[in-house]
Amino acid sequence: MKSNSSNKKMGLSTILTIASLIGIVVLLYMIDQHGFLGSYWTRVLRLSGVYAISALSMNLVNGFTGQFSLGHAGFMAIGAYVTSLLIIPTPNKAIQYYVTPVLDFVGKMHAPFWLALILGGLLAAIAAFFIGFPVLRLKGDYLAIATLGFSEIIRIFITNLIPITNGPMGLKNIPASANIWWTTGICTLTVVFMLRLMDTSYGRAIKAIRDDETAAEAMGISLFRHKMMAFMMGAFFAGVSGGLIASVVGTINPGFFRFTLAYEILLIVVLGGLGSITGSVVGAFVLTISREWLRFLDNGFSILGIIKVPPIAGMRMLFFSVLLMIVILYSRRGLFGSNEFTWAGLFAFPGKWKNKAANLFDSAKQKAGRKK
Amino acid sequence: MKRLVAIGLVFAMALTALAGCGGGGGGGQTSGGGGGGETDVIKIGVFQPLTGAYSAGGTIEVQGVDLAKKYCEEKFGKLLGKEVELVIVDNKSDTVEAATAAAKLVEDDKVDIVLGSWGSGLCMAGGDSFKNSKTIAIGASCTNPNVTIGNDYYYRICFLDPFQGTVLANYAYNTLGATKVAAIYEATNDYAVGLYNFFKEAFETLGGEIVETQMYQTEDQDFNSQILTVMAKEPEIIFAPGVESAAAIMMRQTREAGYNDVIFMGGDTWETPMLIDLGGEFVEGCIVTTFFDPAAPLNDITAEFVELYTAEYGTPPAAFTALGFDSYLTAFQAITEAGSTDSDAIMAVLENIVVKGVTGDIAFNEIGDAIKNMAVLKTVQNGEFVFMDTVTIE
Repeated sequence: MKSNSSNKKMGLSTILTIASLIGIVVLLYMIDQHGFLGSYWTRVLRLSGVYAISALSMNLVNGFTGQFSLGHAGFMAIGAYVTSLLIIPTPNKAIQYYVTPVLDFVGKMHAPFWLALILGGLLAAIAAFFIGFPVLRLKGDYLAIATLGFSEIIRIFITNLIPITNGPMGLKNIPASANIWWTTGICTLTVVFMLRLMDTSYGRAIKAIRDDETAAEAMGISLFRHKMMAFMMGAFFAGVSGGLIASVVGTINPGFFRFTLAYEILLIVVLGGLGSITGSVVGAFVLTISREWLRFLDNGFSILGIIKVPPIAGMRMLFFSVLLMIVILYSRRGLFGSNEFTWAGLFAFPGKWKNKAANLFDSAKQKAGRKK
Repeated sequence: MKRLVAIGLVFAMALTALAGCGGGGGGGQTSGGGGGGETDVIKIGVFQPLTGAYSAGGTIEVQGVDLAKKYCEEKFGKLLGKEVELVIVDNKSDTVEAATAAAKLVEDDKVDIVLGSWGSGLCMAGGDSFKNSKTIAIGASCTNPNVTIGNDYYYRICFLDPFQGTVLANYAYNTLGATKVAAIYEATNDYAVGLYNFFKEAFETLGGEIVETQMYQTEDQDFNSQILTVMAKEPEIIFAPGVESAAAIMMRQTREAGYNDVIFMGGDTWETPMLIDLGGEFVEGCIVTTFFDPAAPLNDITAEFVELYTAEYGTPPAAFTALGFDSYLTAFQAITEAGSTDSDAIMAVLENIVVKGVTGDIAFNEIGDAIKNMAVLKTVQNGEFVFMDTVTIE
């Protein structure tokens, strides 16, 4: 996000950033107050925002720290359940536990949405702390398997703690507090947090760990402490995104937090680019929106009026995978690689884009080289 | 070579984009028609999983809805003088997708009434959208009580798990004369957990005893330890609610372990060809509850339906197809009686409606659940589900 040219350009990019932020706020206002997009597409945008938060938190662990963790679904589950149990109106809660009555304490507890989200995130972070002790000593595939296992353990706990979580019967009537302001707002906060974090010594340290653990350790970076910190911060934001998704969807059950959810988030991260904040956000929006937009394919279509395709359920998923294959074939490191969006980069793009892009890439490389 | 692939892919992309335009244009036309001409078409949304884990169930329910549309067109002609258009939306057996798909139905397609879905969790995910937009939804086979509780706009036409559990308990205690029952249920399945609990409650009230309870997880393949544990208590019946594939494997392992006398009982999910395909001779004699059977017509229309289905698809219909059929029938009759597609008017009609459905008479209580007092019991004989008995609970 640093423009490496003169002060004048710095000023320009700041103005542009502020202008686009104002633009987003105006757009959100239009969507929220004037039904600019209708509730269906607003819902898709809300979901995109939530997935962006989730992808960012996973990117922090997988992309920036280089630890291949798949425990994401478990942390999202913790956040989702804590938030839901705190925000479901108390008269509505007990009636849902029709198999085993709810614990008195759980049935009565209530908190405002913001507090519930923070508590959900914190609990997920605490869980990450305890899980992190054994598993962060592992590397690569072993870490992935161990975190995946822990995420399943969390899910099975939730399934069987029927007096608290209502088990497989799930929870419903979760208030839709997470409107577009909440999801976009928290998404922006997460982006800012990540950007700032990458500029601190912690951010540089975790990137150093990703690039070469031995070298990082030789430079005096405590591997375990930094990995643990990244893991816990990732879990916190995963928990928050879990709470938000519960509120957007309105109902949750343990089946939703199977490990396939972690793969879905991983797909966003890889599509956007491992180690790119821009990539995670863009990836989340592109994936979520295109999945809905492609829905027309399910209803049958004709190509130029020549070839007629009858309605086939799941057709959109077929095209969806073709789209993904194209991305992976042509940009193996995702849409953004590990680069970030900059205004300078945007202006350089259309002109003599080949040259400029190469230059930009080189300067980025040099910068990265300096950081190493 | 890579270049060739590239050109091919780009070409495919371009075609997709063009197809997109075509599709978009078509969509524009229909929505334009819907907007300007809410007078000439009534849209019925079909909210079902057509891909993913529940796709088999969703697909057979859609068959029923399709068939009912044809049946009504032939028999009653147009609905309020308008054509009926089915808007089928796939919810991908996924909670998040279901919530979005429901929003699409009410917001984008502006349907007048919704039918579905298979899977109670998916219904609950869509429930909020239907409630907020005041669109009436009629569930066909979702048996979880939570679907309709606290949602005035959700109705359902099947019986509920508490009823099903009571039927099975009564049959086990009164007709089979069993007093010792063991249970092995699928702990990760809301349906199975609910059904087990209601069965237990009813059976213990009658005076029977649940001698042992074991659980398993979805997709488990080995049930030997559960079987050995429950068989140590010598039960007369094993009650095993859950998915049919697990049940088939469980029965096979029980018989192979040498326990040939114990009777297996389960709920409506077992009644699929898969149970017999997987279980073969080992599932002979197991008892299931279900919604209807061609051999025991619950209404005059039942025979007509069976004939219609067999002519169309070549096999006897499944109970879920019958429920899908009935859900459309209910919507059709309710809109006819209300004389409009206004939700309040339809709701007023649904309060006192009696629909002569394939699965018996359908009427609703104040929560929106069907008032049913009869269930059909079937058993497996010579590799086929055969009618055994009907049980009426007052």
